[in-house]
Amino acid sequence: MHPPISPSDLATLIDEADLAARRLHRKLALPAADLDDLRQDLLVDLICRLPGFDARRGSIGAFAGIILRNQSARIAIRHHRQRRAQGGTVLSLDAPIAGGVEPLGCLLAETDGLAAWHGQDASAAEDAELRHDLALALGALPEEARRLCAALGTCAIAEIVSHSGISRSALYRRIARLRLDLAMRGFGARWDASRAA
Amino acid sequence: MLIMPRTAFIPARPRPLTDVEFCAWIGQAMPDDRLEYHRGFLGIDTTAVISTLPEPERRRLGALASAAHRAFEADLVHLVQVRLGPDRFAYLAIARTKPRRTPVPLARLLEDAEAA
Repeated sequence: MHPPISPSDLATLIDEADLAARRLHRKLALPAADLDDLRQDLLVDLICRLPGFDARRGSIGAFAGIILRNQSARIAIRHHRQRRAQGGTVLSLDAPIAGGVEPLGCLLAETDGLAAWHGQDASAAEDAELRHDLALALGALPEEARRLCAALGTCAIAEIVSHSGISRSALYRRIARLRLDLAMRGFGARWDASRAA
Repeated sequence: MLIMPRTAFIPARPRPLTDVEFCAWIGQAMPDDRLEYHRGFLGIDTTAVISTLPEPERRRLGALASAAHRAFEADLVHLVQVRLGPDRFAYLAIARTKPRRTPVPLARLLEDAEAA
């Protein structure tokens, strides 16, 4: 059991960790939001290594300075390695870009996302509008067509045929009618005015 | 008898309209947009034996007329006709303001279906 750390020693450790964190933060040109994380990482590491402190060999300030310098070097090496792997830039969406305040994720449009690069240009706003339009269209459908929509959304054709007792051909006729009902409400087929001209 | 004002409308095309195309037009039409979906005598042209149209054409026209009637019953279009000559009419669909109904979210529809 190690003796408890005195308040003055703790204040020294906090001050040293703060100084080291600011130095490292400046050297790595990190976003402002990362300063607190750095300070906490350094302080935790320092406290974990306190059992190795020997008061006969020097002051606690000197001990903290050495520990913090080594840990800062390790963090810097890790950070540089990570930057190199990411092509030299910080890619976290939650972190602001250097000199900025807004997180990177807030500055990117939906079309800048990885999904968009791969052709899946889904937009949250468009999705919300589509859901709203679909809810309006479903609300306007006849009750029979709405029931068919729900059945098609949860069951396979064979299941609907077996549960409802209607023939497969009758079911397909209803689906064809549903297709028209949805098209009338703006879903499915598109009207090409240039072809009509 | 409804007297049509002399306003422009999209005339019947050389390539006949299908029921799906007609419904798609309704889906995108603004109120008061007009579409001529047939020219002739619809009652005769869609009736087997007396129609002069080839059978596939007659079936297509029948499906189109059914779709038009369905849209009319859903309050999506007005259906009117303009006399062009003896036994010959231009059949017009005039888009109406889309009726407001209570929205039904798809998720709730599916939940209700699974619960039933």
